[in-house]
Amino acid sequence: MPKWAMVIDLDKCTGCGACMSACKLENNISIVKPEQANKGRVMFWMNIMQEYEDGIPAENSRRTPKLCFQCDKPPCTKVCPVHATYLNPEGLVGQVYHRCIGCRYCMAACPYTAKVFNWYEPEWDSSMKECLNPHVSLRMKGVVEKCSFCAHRLIRVKENAAAEDREIRDEEFVPACMENCPADAIYFGDISNKNTKVYKAASNHRAFRMMEELGTEPKVIYLSQRE
Amino acid sequence: MEKDYKKEIDYPLYKPIYETGKGFYIALFILLAIAAWAAYMYIRQVTYGLGVTGMNVPVSWGFYIVNFVFFIGISHAGTLISAILRLSKAEWRRPITRMAEVITAIVLLIGGIHPIIDLGRPDRVLNIFTAGRLQSPLLWDVTSITAYFTASTVYLYLPMIPDIARLRDHGGKLRWFYNFLSWGWHDTPRQKKVLERAINILMVIVIPIAVSVHTVISYIFSMTLQPGWHSTIFGPYFVVGAIFSGIAALIIVMITFRKVFHLEGYLKEIHFRYLGTLLLVMSLLWFYFTFSEYLTGVFAAEPHEMRTIMYKFTGPFAIFFWGMVVCNFIIPVIFLSFKKLKKIPGILFASITVVIGMWLERLIIVIPSLANPRLPLHRGIYIPSLTEWSLFIGAVALFILGYMVFSKFFPIISIWEIEEGRKESAQIVKQRVESYMPENVNNKI
Amino acid sequence: MKNSNKKYFLNKIFIFQTISVTLIWVLFIGIVLWVSNLVHLSIFWHDQRGISISISLVALPIFFTLASVLTYVFIGLHKEEKKLMSKEKGEEE
Repeated sequence: MPKWAMVIDLDKCTGCGACMSACKLENNISIVKPEQANKGRVMFWMNIMQEYEDGIPAENSRRTPKLCFQCDKPPCTKVCPVHATYLNPEGLVGQVYHRCIGCRYCMAACPYTAKVFNWYEPEWDSSMKECLNPHVSLRMKGVVEKCSFCAHRLIRVKENAAAEDREIRDEEFVPACMENCPADAIYFGDISNKNTKVYKAASNHRAFRMMEELGTEPKVIYLSQRE
Repeated sequence: MEKDYKKEIDYPLYKPIYETGKGFYIALFILLAIAAWAAYMYIRQVTYGLGVTGMNVPVSWGFYIVNFVFFIGISHAGTLISAILRLSKAEWRRPITRMAEVITAIVLLIGGIHPIIDLGRPDRVLNIFTAGRLQSPLLWDVTSITAYFTASTVYLYLPMIPDIARLRDHGGKLRWFYNFLSWGWHDTPRQKKVLERAINILMVIVIPIAVSVHTVISYIFSMTLQPGWHSTIFGPYFVVGAIFSGIAALIIVMITFRKVFHLEGYLKEIHFRYLGTLLLVMSLLWFYFTFSEYLTGVFAAEPHEMRTIMYKFTGPFAIFFWGMVVCNFIIPVIFLSFKKLKKIPGILFASITVVIGMWLERLIIVIPSLANPRLPLHRGIYIPSLTEWSLFIGAVALFILGYMVFSKFFPIISIWEIEEGRKESAQIVKQRVESYMPENVNNKI
Repeated sequence: MKNSNKKYFLNKIFIFQTISVTLIWVLFIGIVLWVSNLVHLSIFWHDQRGISISISLVALPIFFTLASVLTYVFIGLHKEEKKLMSKEKGEEE
């Protein structure tokens, strides 16, 4: 059974934000009106994290791409009252939009604030509506959503591999953020396989995981010379 | 055959049921209007989505959860206190127990619907039956609140049977209704024994249920890893807070009914002084818990924890935090320790501040932890919207409405217990006290 | 009210009372079914079944005690009423 994991090399990352927009388009994430966004309801599955001081970016602060960390011991699935978020055997933390009752307990329990909520019915203007991704289901108002590691792509990759009767190749299953990273700062793949790029990257001495001390065992690993 | 309620000694207790003034209808109308407004706001919320509230990321819980914890806390007034008073054979409980139990039943109903109001998809709430996870603290809540609600309704209903039978025997309105509810009560000794035995069983099981309810509600927060929530003290801290706010709410309700229904003969100053002492004890206990909770946080000074604590001490929530300390500790201690101030107006004032202070405490527990997540990505500010205020006021209105309507159908002071007390309690207490006394050694020799 | 009328009235009330007590049992049995469904789900999905089983073991006896206490009172009170009524009848005859 593969274990999907991601490595983000912060020393390579330019903080351009291409991953954010690629993710937003790939996953049909609702585009929130500016006044709603100012209220803190902006929706990103992949976001750029930065310390601010008095409204301006803090000195020496780093721009860190941050998504759902797909924890191996997820605090969010523990609290869900209806099995709407779960850990699958391949290590993906799934979200069942059609079962979610919108209690937002998982959002409150996530130490990484990785989840977003559909406060209103998701909206796109007419030109955007035409380029919705047909492979990703649309969400409805009142449910929680978050990064899926582009699990819809995995389905296609698996089907292709099964049709050609072979194993999934390394870097065959790639999420949209990695595909669009101009600096090649993101690695993705099966971390349980020692021949993958992601495994090698993760064994780098610069590797660390966000707030490892919480015991959530995130599967997003950062590489950085600093800290 | 039918007795005339006007000739009863306890006429003031029967009076509100048979005679209804204009004031009642005016109040009923106002409260119904408020409730209708709240219902409208809720329907609006369901139509448009939770966006009409002030919640956001990261403050994903707001007033609804605050009020949920608050109302369930108030519900501890009743059944728990009444059970403790009955268990300890406090004779002064007689006019109090019923009022306390009614608070529980009504407030639990109101508090219990708050999580549903809070849902983004209330249409899917039945998923907890088909796909629920008993492992989730939210489902622990559903179970324990259901248990508490059924137990406290039964505990309210059973001791009411003799009173319902009295109403049935006095004839007049709703004959079938009282007949239906009185379960064939005829004041026979055997029936009394059955009822007494049942009440005894109930009051023993109702205490652990009540304690478990607020403990489990605290678990919603303390089971997560969030700074400010992940604390082992939360269970008892919540229970103490709940009893504290419950007693305060009980005192307010008692003083209101005493005034409106002219029950000065039943609810005497001594009752309020005793309850005031209980409130004072709870206030000190509450302070002790709050002190330990924050001192451990400040002393260890874990950075994430510290940020939420400073948010409360000096940040945007400082006014609420220090307001809470004043309302929950300083005012009650001043007003309840000195004999001069410990009169009904003083006790009422202290109770009102305690209810406000305990509401602030729930606010302070829920919001700052959410507003200061561990990662510096989001910093939230939470400003409740009109919808949330409307539903809050609507919930309070619904509580008053429920209580008013109840008082028109059932006596809010237990008539039979008062009668029984008048007849035999002085005798029983005398015997009990005599049994405590050391025996006279000289007699034995 | 005539005696036969009264008796008819009381009988009707008694039927409704019995139905209401039965409904309480139906409610509690419903809770049992619900909880056992959830336990079943947690076993089926390999999802911390120990927790759900232990919670159900704590919760269910409470509901049953409540229902039994209610039934006990119901039966106890009605037995007495029957006795009283038959006595009344005996005195009339």
